[in-house]
Amino acid sequence: MNRHPPVSDTATAAVVVEDLHKRFGELEVLKGVSLTAREGDVITLIGSSGSGKSTLLRCINMLEIPDDGRIVIGGEAIALKKKRGNTVPADARQVERLRTRLGMVFQSFNLWTHMTILQNVIEAPVHVLGVPKAEAVDRARMLLDKVGILAKADAYPVQLSGGQQQRAAIARALAMQPKVMLFDEPTSALDPELVGEVLRVIRQLADEGSTMILVTHEMGFAREVASKVVFLHQGRIEEEGSPDKVLTDPDSDRVRQFLSRHLSGAA
Amino acid sequence: MNWQLMWDSLPRMLGGLSLTLQLIVGSLALGAVVAFAVALLRLSGNRVAEWLSAAYVFVFRGTPLLVQIFLIYYGLGQFTLIRDSFLWPFLREPYWCAILALTLNTGAYTSEVLRGAILSVPLGQVEAARACGMSRPLAFRRIVLPVAIRQMLPAYGNEVILMVKATSLASTITLMEVTGIARRMIAQTFAVFELFIVAGAIYLVLNFIASRLIKFAEWRLTPYLRARA
Repeated sequence: MNRHPPVSDTATAAVVVEDLHKRFGELEVLKGVSLTAREGDVITLIGSSGSGKSTLLRCINMLEIPDDGRIVIGGEAIALKKKRGNTVPADARQVERLRTRLGMVFQSFNLWTHMTILQNVIEAPVHVLGVPKAEAVDRARMLLDKVGILAKADAYPVQLSGGQQQRAAIARALAMQPKVMLFDEPTSALDPELVGEVLRVIRQLADEGSTMILVTHEMGFAREVASKVVFLHQGRIEEEGSPDKVLTDPDSDRVRQFLSRHLSGAA
Repeated sequence: MNWQLMWDSLPRMLGGLSLTLQLIVGSLALGAVVAFAVALLRLSGNRVAEWLSAAYVFVFRGTPLLVQIFLIYYGLGQFTLIRDSFLWPFLREPYWCAILALTLNTGAYTSEVLRGAILSVPLGQVEAARACGMSRPLAFRRIVLPVAIRQMLPAYGNEVILMVKATSLASTITLMEVTGIARRMIAQTFAVFELFIVAGAIYLVLNFIASRLIKFAEWRLTPYLRARA
């Protein structure tokens, strides 16, 4: 890829998060978290529920607005301002534009129920990016084929199993040709026998070199695909590093305890 | 029971059908516009707009339609300001007074139905739209509204049926729609039972058609609900 000469890490990294703070009322969920995802990185966020990992992910595409800190997407910092004591995006257009570069996959799929799978996948490319419909349809079919549900293109979300819905949701996110994919516990709402088919698709994306940030409880999977594992505890990064280090020989006792509870059942 | 009289009354009674249909279609169409605007104001987050729209709904749902019709037709004319305004050519006509009262009435009910439907759209679907980079208005137009309209159809069907029947109140301000004609014919023949049966039957047929239309719209718009079976 033709890139400008690197000015600094922040300028070239896909996603940079600096000293992020987020509170919900009295509860401070993120207490100063920093994170850098370079192109091609697969970062998995792990930690107990309530540790702030989903909130961190949702802050990256501004589904939650951080109270403090900085988020830089592809070298462009998201402009925030204070309004009556609350932090809000300074420019809604900028947030919308940056979101088109971030593909989001939700725990509960969130497919649009009134549209077929194909319509779900072409919706944003056609209506947000202005891609001609025929072109969007071709690309959507290619993506649905890739995630293995091309046969379901004209079905409605309710007709699909959870695993198929999640794969459709991944195709929908990929249709925007995002620079970074964000996965928020993509397999947590699935029956155990459906987890594998979704992980296979995510693993394929990782193998293709996609940049991804992934919140997951699947420790075995994290170890396989991650280039970096970040363990969050009560809104702070407790430990981060290579999966081999963090998942087998962590420095922190908290991580050790967490793993002993979670690794036993991992595939 | 005078069957012959009932049969013979039918052509004259159906002469009012056109006016009845105009009242139904006109007030439902205008009422939908009002409902849409009021529901959006109610959800706008602007306190003044929210208060105004809530007050409108409170007043027009909380008072009898008949009283509203009388207020508009008999009441407004006593103000010089209104008699001198550009609105007077409309407001002195019983036809437009009936349309106005029916519109404001159905607008109030329908706005609440729509508001509830909008609020019931799952947040996750809205988040998914926003996460794709959709602006608020685009997400509203492409995701929230289509889902909400499908959601509100059964309740809106109720409202349509109520409106078909409510047009009969227009007869109280001299309009010769179906009920108006029935009343005039009764004054001439004293066949109260027979003629109101005929009038009632006409409304029954209209509502049969209306409920079929709503059912058809539901069927057309929700293939994903049929698909589940």
